[in-house]
Amino acid sequence: MIATAEAPPPLRPTGRHAIEAQDLGVQYSLRFTKKTTLRQSFMQMFSREPLEPFWALRNVSFSLLRGESLGVIGPNGAGKSTLLQVLAGIIQPSEGSVEVHGHVSSLLTLGAGFDTELSGRENILLAGAFLGLPDGVVRQLAPSIIEFADLGRFIDAPLKTYSSGMRARLGFAIATSVDPDILLLDEVLATGDAEFREKSKSRVIELVTAAKGIVLVTHDMAWVTEYCNRAMLLEKGTVIYEGDPAETVRIHVERSAQRKAERAAQIGSAAI
Amino acid sequence: MLPFAPMSTTSEVPAEFRHAAARPGPFHLLGEAIQEVLSRRRLVVYLVRADIKKKGADTFLGNLWWVLDPLLQMLVYVIFISIIFQRPQPDYPLFVLAAILPWKWFTSSINDATTSVTGQGSLIRQIQFPKIVLPMAATSAAVVGFAFSLLPLAAIMLLFPHRISAFLLLIPVVGVAQFLFTLGASLIVAAVNVFFRDLGNVLRHLLRLWFYLSPGLYSLAMLEESKFFTEHPTVLRLLQLNPFATLFESYRSVIYGDPVTGPHLPDFAALGALALASLVLIAIGTVIFKRLEPMYAKVL
Repeated sequence: MIATAEAPPPLRPTGRHAIEAQDLGVQYSLRFTKKTTLRQSFMQMFSREPLEPFWALRNVSFSLLRGESLGVIGPNGAGKSTLLQVLAGIIQPSEGSVEVHGHVSSLLTLGAGFDTELSGRENILLAGAFLGLPDGVVRQLAPSIIEFADLGRFIDAPLKTYSSGMRARLGFAIATSVDPDILLLDEVLATGDAEFREKSKSRVIELVTAAKGIVLVTHDMAWVTEYCNRAMLLEKGTVIYEGDPAETVRIHVERSAQRKAERAAQIGSAAI
Repeated sequence: MLPFAPMSTTSEVPAEFRHAAARPGPFHLLGEAIQEVLSRRRLVVYLVRADIKKKGADTFLGNLWWVLDPLLQMLVYVIFISIIFQRPQPDYPLFVLAAILPWKWFTSSINDATTSVTGQGSLIRQIQFPKIVLPMAATSAAVVGFAFSLLPLAAIMLLFPHRISAFLLLIPVVGVAQFLFTLGASLIVAAVNVFFRDLGNVLRHLLRLWFYLSPGLYSLAMLEESKFFTEHPTVLRLLQLNPFATLFESYRSVIYGDPVTGPHLPDFAALGALALASLVLIAIGTVIFKRLEPMYAKVL
């Protein structure tokens, strides 16, 4: 929204770009991490150890074209989820810039914005309002969401009576109902029963083929090679490799095995 | 074919550009906040509804507590004051209730607002939405609680029919001033609590002290008669600057009034001044809240 003088000029026609990230960096100050209490703040104030800033992402540049589906893989704590948070606008970049063209829908975790006391139907309205959809549009979409989620009579029961699979189904139905230009998915495809998994898979494939951009974070390598036309390997917040999905997966598997061997060797030498 | 109705509005969404260097000024933040609240007023309505539903759902007597609670609290104060001071004001139950009801409204607003942002941590990490709707909704939901608490007031009024007057219709006017003040304070506590989770504990004691320093169980007129305050007029003036001195005195004017002659008009000049000061407080609170907003998703 805010164009600054430092903004790099688009290299290619912007209409074809869904996402353009330049030198993205996200820094976490450890001063205000989770659950700071007065006591901890005081301790920090007088502690002699300087607080090391932590970079969850650093020097990440990539672009996503319309119709592309980018798979992001990497070990735990590589910054995959942080990347999606930046793309969704939840976290502001500490350095660099990101340009997003089009309506973004994020399924970072299914069922965000749900209230357990409200019924499924009421939660559709609430979640829609959180996602910023006009109320009329949400009401119009509600019947098809209810149909897709396939909750039967439970749709008018409070959400606290739902199983986690039912919640995930409702969340998936809401998040994909908005027909977004760019869809951000974070490890959400492994929810629900086998039948719904198939259904959601075909829904995601539909979105991919409908010329929408998708950024998908997953540990399911089969998904990356099968449905992504590009992949990115993140480790410790930086891009290790970007390109062909099969090649990216191969590098990831190789490096994981190597790390595992190194760790085993370390433990082994420590034991001796 | 997509099984869903394509959304016509998606194509109108402009390109978004986020840059690390952007740091908007206070007036920009204020404008942004106003625009956010206006465009998300539906969300505020849904959140308020969900909040009311939840409050009624988790206890056996449910919403009945909104009626019982102030009555029981009134009973405690009436017994306490009658025993200690022997000679309380005439119609003392009504005198106290006129302060208990707005105070209960204020404390429940502040308590709910304090946890309004921190309580939605998982949501804030997952969806981008204007966080300012959270304390707005918490503060607005508490208004409903206050409206309900006017029922026990009506019941107690029936025991003192000579105090019933048309001035009662001015309760909402005083309420507006209180709402504005509460909203400003709510925005600040909601933002600060993200970074200092002890705030709830600190506030609990601070609020208790605040109540006893406010003319709730006593009136300003009673203080003016006392020897200490005639000797130390500055202390009295400080107590009069307390927003709840104005609010409690105003509520009492229209509900209880003079101990002998009954209800009368509130001090509109003082109420107007409080309302204006509260608008400034809202502006300050909004800027603080918006300034810290980008950090919420990282800290929560």
